[in-house]
Amino acid sequence: MTCHDARQVLPELLDRRTPPTALLEARSHLAACVDCQRDFASLARITTLLDSPPPTAPSTRLRRSFYAMLEEEKHSAASARQVADRQHRAYHLSLWRWVIAPLAACALLAAGFIGGSRFSSAPRSGNPADSETAQRLAELQHKVDSMGQLVGFSLLQQQQRPTNDRLRGIFASTSLEKPTARVVHELISALALDPSAHVRLCALDGLIPHVDQEVVRAGVLACLAREENPLVQISMIDFLATARDGSARSALERITVNETADRSVRDAARLALAQF
Amino acid sequence: MLAVRDGELDALGELFERHHGPLYGYLFKFTGERAAAEDIVQTVFQRMLKYRHTYRDDGSFTAWMYHLARRCAADHFRRAAASPHATDPETLADISDPAPRADQQAAVRDDHELLRAALAQLDREDREVLLLSRFEELSFAEIAGILECSVGAAKVRAHRALHALRQTFFRLQQSRPTAP
Repeated sequence: MTCHDARQVLPELLDRRTPPTALLEARSHLAACVDCQRDFASLARITTLLDSPPPTAPSTRLRRSFYAMLEEEKHSAASARQVADRQHRAYHLSLWRWVIAPLAACALLAAGFIGGSRFSSAPRSGNPADSETAQRLAELQHKVDSMGQLVGFSLLQQQQRPTNDRLRGIFASTSLEKPTARVVHELISALALDPSAHVRLCALDGLIPHVDQEVVRAGVLACLAREENPLVQISMIDFLATARDGSARSALERITVNETADRSVRDAARLALAQF
Repeated sequence: MLAVRDGELDALGELFERHHGPLYGYLFKFTGERAAAEDIVQTVFQRMLKYRHTYRDDGSFTAWMYHLARRCAADHFRRAAASPHATDPETLADISDPAPRADQQAAVRDDHELLRAALAQLDREDREVLLLSRFEELSFAEIAGILECSVGAAKVRAHRALHALRQTFFRLQQSRPTAP
């Protein structure tokens, strides 16, 4: 190895990171060459100076400033954490207010509805108290129904009372869930005898649910023969046509040829006969 | 630094106590100014706090610290070049001038002052790589990472800078007036 080659690697020999087993050839040359040793010594002096600490140490101002900055950062970090916590709580609150609370309310409502419909519709047969209550409720319902019928009779029977009262009696009779035969009889009587066409029309409407009873169909047919109001006549013809009552055929045929009858009535009778 | 990143800010105090001395020494030799070195050390630790969330455990803390120091020093030199400022009479001796002057010769009294003057005459890049290469705890791979160059280039530049420094140092020493 020449001096030139050896001097090229002198900085590496001065580098403490270079392992002692490296650059052996350069080391052996250095051990034997005085010029290279002088060169090495001058470089070593420079590196020693470079590695030595600076002549002036940092002032106390540096340490003071650093710790002041650190304290300030800790405070701001703590306040930032508080702000983040507040925002987190606000987020949860708004989530509760706008999402969870409405959902919970809906869920409660649905649960109440389902529970109510499930447990109130079916009677509890196993509980004697419940069956007794149901029985008493049925009795009360029956009493109310009877009372309604009684009121209806009294209103229907008082022909001298104003039309409004009689109409109210008709409505009371038709609103009954299970009208008795007496109520039906009174409705037919009203249809036959009441002087007001409105009352008769209402009575006819009240008889529609009982069209399957022969006595009702016979009553309407009898009333048709003596009815003079065309509106009521047409309603009766429609009633009989709906009932498909064959016994009404001859009566309807008579109307179709009756010249004194209203033309609309004759047409309604002709139409009803066509439906038979 | 991982503890600092996770919120234990007091741990930065330990890092400061352990590293601020060598860092100050490096910056003092790099800038040649005590006040500038202290300011840059302060800025480096300030940036550590500011960017602690970005610290990743994929390299040595020292390398990261000197990487920050290099950026801060670059900012310092950029500001110093952009704004005119009054010259500190104490630094007059550091102003590079190949021709030795009487006031310079008077200021360079010992080896440290000679070294300071010699370093001031090096290019900033050479000064930087040479000073970084003197830290044992930094490998040349890390130095290359800090300087954003290859390992070979970092080594060559460091060795060349050492030779240049020696040449300047002894030239200044020879021009030093002898004591009466």
